[in-house]
Order: sequence, then structure tokens, then C-alpha cells
Amino acid sequence: MTEIAAARRFDAIAWFDKGIGLAFPFVVALAVASAVLLAVGENPIDVFSLMAAESFGSTRRIAATLSAATPLLFTGVATAICFRSGVFNVGVEGAFVIGGLCGAFVGFSLPAGFGLALIPLAFAFAAIGSALWLSVPGYLLARYEVDEVVSTLMLNFVAFGITGYLVNGPLLSEISGNNVTPLVHEAAQLPRLLPPSTVHAGFLVGLVLVVAYGLWARRTPSGFEGALVGHNRRFSKAIGISIPATIVLVMVISGIVAGMGGASHALGQLHRFADGFSPGYGFTGMAVALLGRNTATGILLGAILFGALASAGTTVQLFSDIPLDIVNIIEGTVMIFAVVELGRLSLRRWRGAS
Amino acid sequence: MLKSTAIAGGFAALSLGMAMPAMAADVAPAALIIAQGGLGDGAWNDTANAGFEAGLAKTGVEGRPIESKDVAAQGEEIMRRAADGGFGLVISLEWIHGEPMEKLAVDYPDANWVIMNQTRKGDNVASVVFAEHEGSYLAGALAAQVTTDTSIKGINEDAVIGVIGGVKAPGIDKFIVGYIQGAQAINPDIEVKVAYSDSFGDPAKGQQMAKAMFDEGADIVYQVAGGTGIGIIEAAKAAGHYAIGVDTDQDGMAPGSVLTSVLKRVDVAVENVIEAYAQGEFPGGEIMDFGLAQNGVALSDMNHTKDMIPAAYLEKVAQLEADIIAGKIDVWDVSSEGYPEFFK
Repeated sequence: MTEIAAARRFDAIAWFDKGIGLAFPFVVALAVASAVLLAVGENPIDVFSLMAAESFGSTRRIAATLSAATPLLFTGVATAICFRSGVFNVGVEGAFVIGGLCGAFVGFSLPAGFGLALIPLAFAFAAIGSALWLSVPGYLLARYEVDEVVSTLMLNFVAFGITGYLVNGPLLSEISGNNVTPLVHEAAQLPRLLPPSTVHAGFLVGLVLVVAYGLWARRTPSGFEGALVGHNRRFSKAIGISIPATIVLVMVISGIVAGMGGASHALGQLHRFADGFSPGYGFTGMAVALLGRNTATGILLGAILFGALASAGTTVQLFSDIPLDIVNIIEGTVMIFAVVELGRLSLRRWRGAS
Repeated sequence: MLKSTAIAGGFAALSLGMAMPAMAADVAPAALIIAQGGLGDGAWNDTANAGFEAGLAKTGVEGRPIESKDVAAQGEEIMRRAADGGFGLVISLEWIHGEPMEKLAVDYPDANWVIMNQTRKGDNVASVVFAEHEGSYLAGALAAQVTTDTSIKGINEDAVIGVIGGVKAPGIDKFIVGYIQGAQAINPDIEVKVAYSDSFGDPAKGQQMAKAMFDEGADIVYQVAGGTGIGIIEAAKAAGHYAIGVDTDQDGMAPGSVLTSVLKRVDVAVENVIEAYAQGEFPGGEIMDFGLAQNGVALSDMNHTKDMIPAAYLEKVAQLEADIIAGKIDVWDVSSEGYPEFFK
């Protein structure tokens, strides 16, 4: 009996801790932004309430927030899956744009006669492309201990270079001198969930992936092994878990998820690939994963928070003189304190262990 | 509880914010959606915003520029929010917003919509296009005069000039044909080398192609290749020859090595649109063509090169400009007339 009660209490503490973990960086960010707003002579309460209304004030605004959150669901999961195993993959951004280009390519280059089959084909091609993409730094890390932070970061630039070249050259739409591919066929476009808002079926795909990730992480042996490798590599090795296999596995899954995110963005949002395809969804996804402590619920909430900041941060400019910079300050501060909080936790864990 | 108060407060602030512009002028406010690159790009966006502010100041219309880090994906939501929020004029500088704008214009027939560098359908959509062929004609005429004047540093006696386009497409050939026509107006026997980089983002390739043209006797190369053109300008600087810039004033990118730039005066266009809107004469459904007559295209001020160009050449260019405006010269427009005999 007492054991169960204690476990429950522990559970409650853990939940409280998670809640604080998620809220703390946000509260600090609001405080910092308030100070900046006061300094420039704006009333923070007015600004924040306007932002709240622009994020969640009506069905249309909620839909806009979810639309902005959609790519972050994918990049958040793709990042978390590596981070929880102690693999600091910062290459989700590159994998996202590779997936986007692959998805768009299938969407406009195959005959329109494929119909709805174009959608799974585009997702599959994108997933394979990005999985191969991230398997390279995964293999280099597993086999030769090539630092994954450096390799994945650099691969992002390669991805930008490749996609930038293709969209400015061989895959350039003929009807425009601008840096876009042709539009994908109508059958390949993901349906909108709440027309006329832009939130599309990719949001549901993202949600399914978040749930699947949560189940994988908590309920499957391979998910458990992944976490164990993140906690203690020597122990994992001692009980017979293959560290290289785990590293390659999480990198490949990360690539699959990031690639599907790119395909979802190409088929559902832009209906093509274009220069400026991702304004840094992969990097925001890192903040989402950190803020969400790599948990499924945390990623969902983190993605919606950053989605809200992105959508409201833009439209508040219509109704006030708040520059985009204020929103950037809030985003930046949330990111910093999300990392700080993580550092504090690992310090506590380290102290507890020793 | 706290949350609902915040949301209610948000609505109060929202309605307050919306009422403010409406009170300030009797026409609904205007929004200018900034393209990728954002404000502070020193080029397209900043130029347009300057015209926007000038237009607002002149007419008393309220308006705001809207920036987004994710302007490609969020464009439709931003424009819809503006129309929902009571804005009467929405101008987008972002090329990719053309598709969604066509749909939004149907959903919001009372709002006025403006898109750049493309033509879009709708009675309440104005498409702003620039007569780049006219500006290019002047650049060709200037280049044709300079290219045989060996008194100018870096110029050989051969009547050979060049142009590099980003891709073989009517939108780019519009520049190239205007340039050739302008050059031939000065010297019917001039050789104009034409090449395509097949990429708008490859400065290294631009540099190689320009170097090849310089090696073949060209001393002035016009770049119509976006980011690839940066390499063309670099090649001109390295070879001691000349490039001609495009769209924005690129003379300062390599002072003295850029003969001139063919400018798109998006500021003039935006200011013009706001004035028409304020007077209740919004040109909905029309294609607004900004050419030399509207001051919509122009050669740059040539701050770094005008002292080495003989005044007679510049006078000739000014004369040609006046003739184009007066309708005495008809510059070929590939985008509306197809390809001419001299350029197939």
C-alpha cells in the first residue's frame, strides 16, 4: 500500500517537475520581454494579451497557430529521438529540406494519373531520402566516432547547397524566373482540416508521429534501450546493448520523421519546394525537444507554443507597433532557458549519481 | 480564470487596435507584406518600404509593414488576417504569395490586393510588372558606346559585349532582348554574346562564365542571373573589365567595376498604388506596367563610374530614354510579344 502511495507521490512530483520545466523558461522569457517592452515604452500586458488573442482568440487564429506548429511536431520528434539517446543530432534542419525537396519532386514529376497514391509515394520517397541522409553521420559516429554535432551541422549546409542548386537550376519552374519548383499535382496536395485556414492533414500525421514516438519511447524494448544508452553508455554496453546499432537506428528514425515533415510541408503548406522552404524549423524543433524534455506531451505543447509565437508574432504587427524583434527575443529567451533548465537537471542527476 | 481574462483583454486590445487606424483616415489601412530577406536587406524590401512610407505620408492612409521569419509558409494566414482585420489594401512583395492571393481576392472582394512581378486574376487584384526590357535597352545602348572606347580603362577596341541570364525563359529573355536591341541601336554590327547559367544561385559558375566571355573579347557583361550575378561582378573586378547590375543598385558591390545597374523602382510602384487607392481609384483587375515613362525602371546614378564615361554617351542614353517615353522607339517585350527575328 505504502509503496503504491509513494509511487503515486513520486509520479505527482515528476509531473509537477515536468510542468515547471515547461513553464519556467516561458515565464522567464515573458519577464525578459516585459522588461524590453517597458524599456521601449510599450505596455507588456497589452502586448501579451494581444498576442494571446492572435494565437488562440478564435477558431481561425487557433488554426493558424496549429498550422505554424505542424512542421515543429516533426522536427521536435526527430530531434528528441536522438537527444534522448545522447546523440546530439543538429542535422534535422537539413533532413527536413531534403525531405521537402524529395516530396515535392514526387508530387510534381510523376504523372497526375497516380492520383491519391502520390501522397504515400511522396512521403515514402522523402522518408527514404532523409533517412539515408542522416544515416551517414550516424554511421560515421557509430563506426569512427566522428563528432555528430560537427558532422550534422555541416551537413545542413550541404543540404541547403544541394536543394538551393536544384531549385535554382534543374528543378526550377518554367513559368517563373523565381526560385521555386512547379506546383505539385492537385491530387498530391494534402487536404485542409479547417478551411479556409491553412492547417492541413500534415498536422494529423505529425500528431500520430508524436503519439507513436511516445509509445515507442515508453512501451517498447528498443525505445527503452535508446533511453538507457542516453543515460549511461557503459552500463548499456555491459548489459549487451549495441551502442553503434542504437546510434544508427535513432539517426535513421530521426531522418524518417524529419523527411516526412518536409514532405508534409511541401504537399500541405507550400504545394512546392521553394527557396526559404524552412526558416529554421529544424533548429526550432531542437528548442521544442529541449523544452518538452523529449516527452511526447512536452513536444506537442512546445510545438504549439512556438507555433503560437510564430503566427501571433507576425499578425500582431497589423494591430500594433510591436516589431518582430520582440517575438524573436521571447523565442530566443525560451530557447536559452530551456537549455539552462536541462543543464540544471543533468547537474542534479550527476550529483545524485556520485 | 487567468487565461480567460487574458484572452478577453486580448480582444479588448484587438478591437482598440483595429479602431485606431480606421479613425485616423477615412479609408481602411494598408498592409505591406515584406518578402524573404526581411527589412534591412538594402534592396527589394527596403526600397519598397521606403515607397510605402512615402505613400502613407502623402495620403494620410494608415498602414504597417508586416515581417515574418516564415513568410513563405505563413503568407496566406497573414494576408487573410489582414483582410479579416479590416485592412483595405494588402500589398505583398513575396513572389510566392501570388497563388494564395488569387484565392483570397475571391474570399475578400472588398479588399484590394497587389502582387509584384507576375499577373494574377481578379477584379480586385492589381498586378505590378516592370518594363525591364526598357531599362535593359538603355544599358545595352550605354554598353555599346563604351565597349569601343579604348580611352576608358579596361576597354578593348572590339565591339563585343555580353549578357548572362539565369535561365532560358521568357521572363529573362525580356531583359536580354531589350539589351541587344539597345546595343544594336548604337552599332548594328555589334556582337552580343549570350549565355545562360541555368542557376540563380551559383556565383562560382557566374564567375567562370563571365571570365570566359572576357577572355573572348567582351569587356562589359550584363548579369540577369540573381545570386549567380554576384560571381559575374566579382569576375569583372578581377579581370579589370565591367559588369552591369540588375534589379537593385549593385554599383557599390565592386565600385568602379559595375558600369551601371538596371533598377526596378519598386518604391515608385508601391507609392503609386497607395495614392491610387487613397483616391478611390484602385486599379483592380489591371496590370500596372511600370516602365521608363512611369519612372518604374531606370539606370542607376553611376556614382562610381559616371566620371569616366564621356558625357556624350550619357547624353545619347538620355536621348534614347526620351524617345522611348515619347513612343518614338518601341522596345521589344518578349513576355508579351514573343521572340523577335533577331533573337530566336
